Amino acid sequence: MNTDKEIVERSRSGPAIFGELYDRHAPDIYRYAARRAGDFAAEDVMAETFLIAFERRAVFEGPSEAVRPWLFGIATNLLRRHHRAEARMLRALARNEGRRHSVDGLEEVDAKVDADVDRSRIGAALHALAPIDREAILLYAWADLTYDGIATATGVPIGTVRSRINRARRKLRADLGFALFDEMDSDHGRTAPAPRHA
Amino acid sequence: MDELHLLRATRNTTGTVPPAVLAAGREKLMQKAAGEREPAPGLHPVRPWRRTLFASAAAVALVATLVAVDVMGSGERPGVTAEAADVLNDAAASTIATSDPVLEPGQYLLVDTTGVAMTFASGQLGDTTPRWLSSIDTQMYVPADRTAEWVWSREPSVPVQFFGEGSREASERMKADLQADGIQMDESEVLRAPGGQWEGFAWEVLGQMPLNEFIESAPRDPDELLKMIYEQTEGNHWNTEAEAFMAFANILRTGAVPADLRAVIYQAIALIPGVSLVDREVALDGRTGVSLGMKGSDYRTRMEIIIDQESGQMIGEREVQLKDYRGVPAGTVTAWTAITTSVVDSAP
Repeated sequence: MNTDKEIVERSRSGPAIFGELYDRHAPDIYRYAARRAGDFAAEDVMAETFLIAFERRAVFEGPSEAVRPWLFGIATNLLRRHHRAEARMLRALARNEGRRHSVDGLEEVDAKVDADVDRSRIGAALHALAPIDREAILLYAWADLTYDGIATATGVPIGTVRSRINRARRKLRADLGFALFDEMDSDHGRTAPAPRHA
Repeated sequence: MDELHLLRATRNTTGTVPPAVLAAGREKLMQKAAGEREPAPGLHPVRPWRRTLFASAAAVALVATLVAVDVMGSGERPGVTAEAADVLNDAAASTIATSDPVLEPGQYLLVDTTGVAMTFASGQLGDTTPRWLSSIDTQMYVPADRTAEWVWSREPSVPVQFFGEGSREASERMKADLQADGIQMDESEVLRAPGGQWEGFAWEVLGQMPLNEFIESAPRDPDELLKMIYEQTEGNHWNTEAEAFMAFANILRTGAVPADLRAVIYQAIALIPGVSLVDREVALDGRTGVSLGMKGSDYRTRMEIIIDQESGQMIGEREVQLKDYRGVPAGTVTAWTAITTSVVDSAP
């Protein structure tokens, strides 16, 4: 079983082995790109990421665990071309509200819709983030990179990653406001449903 | 349930790569690999990999809340939309009469934004969670030639006021937790981008439109403009009117909207059902303005924009909670931002 780093190194003299890296990481890259910008963009980003990585394999340096962030970094750059598709995705997420309400207040909303409301608000709140902050928080929350990995992926110092994620989280929290608490106004005597698990 | 859990919960099950797509991508790669005898020369220096140990970051939570000096003002008086329309149309007239500052080549329009919001360490969020106020300050330097380099300075967020049981201790504990994770709360950041295009993105309004593009393309007719905003925000929420109001506030907040368009925006806001005059005199960061507001999409808050009627400039905004909720009393200002624009000769 080759490590990621071994694959990259061996591919310098035997290019075909790079296919192993593709098999290992392409589905993840696709999933991340699809979540951010839809299937059409994801297809392009996934294929292109590995072509570029292959071209740059001679200059890759770092431990094995840096390979995945390196690939995500390439994908992240490619995704910037698709920022309009991403905006459409976020709008679609923001529309995912279950149903429309005309009641003056949220008293009649059940817990299921509550969950959808949170989703729709997340979409709108992500929309409102500064793009570089959004990129950082999504690499963290959706691509499961560490801060170190995000620093590698985006080519900025780790302190910058921290402050971007910090700011993104604070702004999300501010924008989501009280939607974070699954309950209706206390004066309607409703108790909070059990918290949902991610 | 914090924002990270919510974010992770939105990782839906879509996004599984279809086998044919996966195979096609692999085929492209293999063709490239087969065609290459020599490794390609390096194109980019690779940053050295720094290894750090790192625990999960303590959550920094911001529920914008400010204990108001000026609680509720005269309160919301439903049905005064005609009054609100008068104020807005007056502001539009003042805007047209007051010309925008003229920038000489090399000068910048400085949009200085100061705000305060409530912070708490997340975890066991509840009625008794200690809260405190934190600052949020940014400066945007917009060059005379808008295609030139824009500079965006973002200052650190620091606690500015404590209240409630154990508030200061909680803030210090959170800061220590974050430092243990290597996160400095007192870092500032200066970002630069030609034409306001940050790393491939423009400074955008309406979620996707570069500000300059919006300024150029927005209809200069209030009905048409409102229609456009409704179309852009439709589906964001069930409360289209509130979303449109918020979209206009977001656009005005940039501080970089020229007078002719600003006037049309005020006239368009005057057409949104539910907008009312909240307070004829609101003090905000040393200035006074008239406040117009409407209920937010969540029905628990009222969003307000605060306009200087003399100049027609938006001097800021605030959000007021309308009902007692989670220990925050009705009438609490849950966020405010003050916006100052000026002409300066240089940027950092």
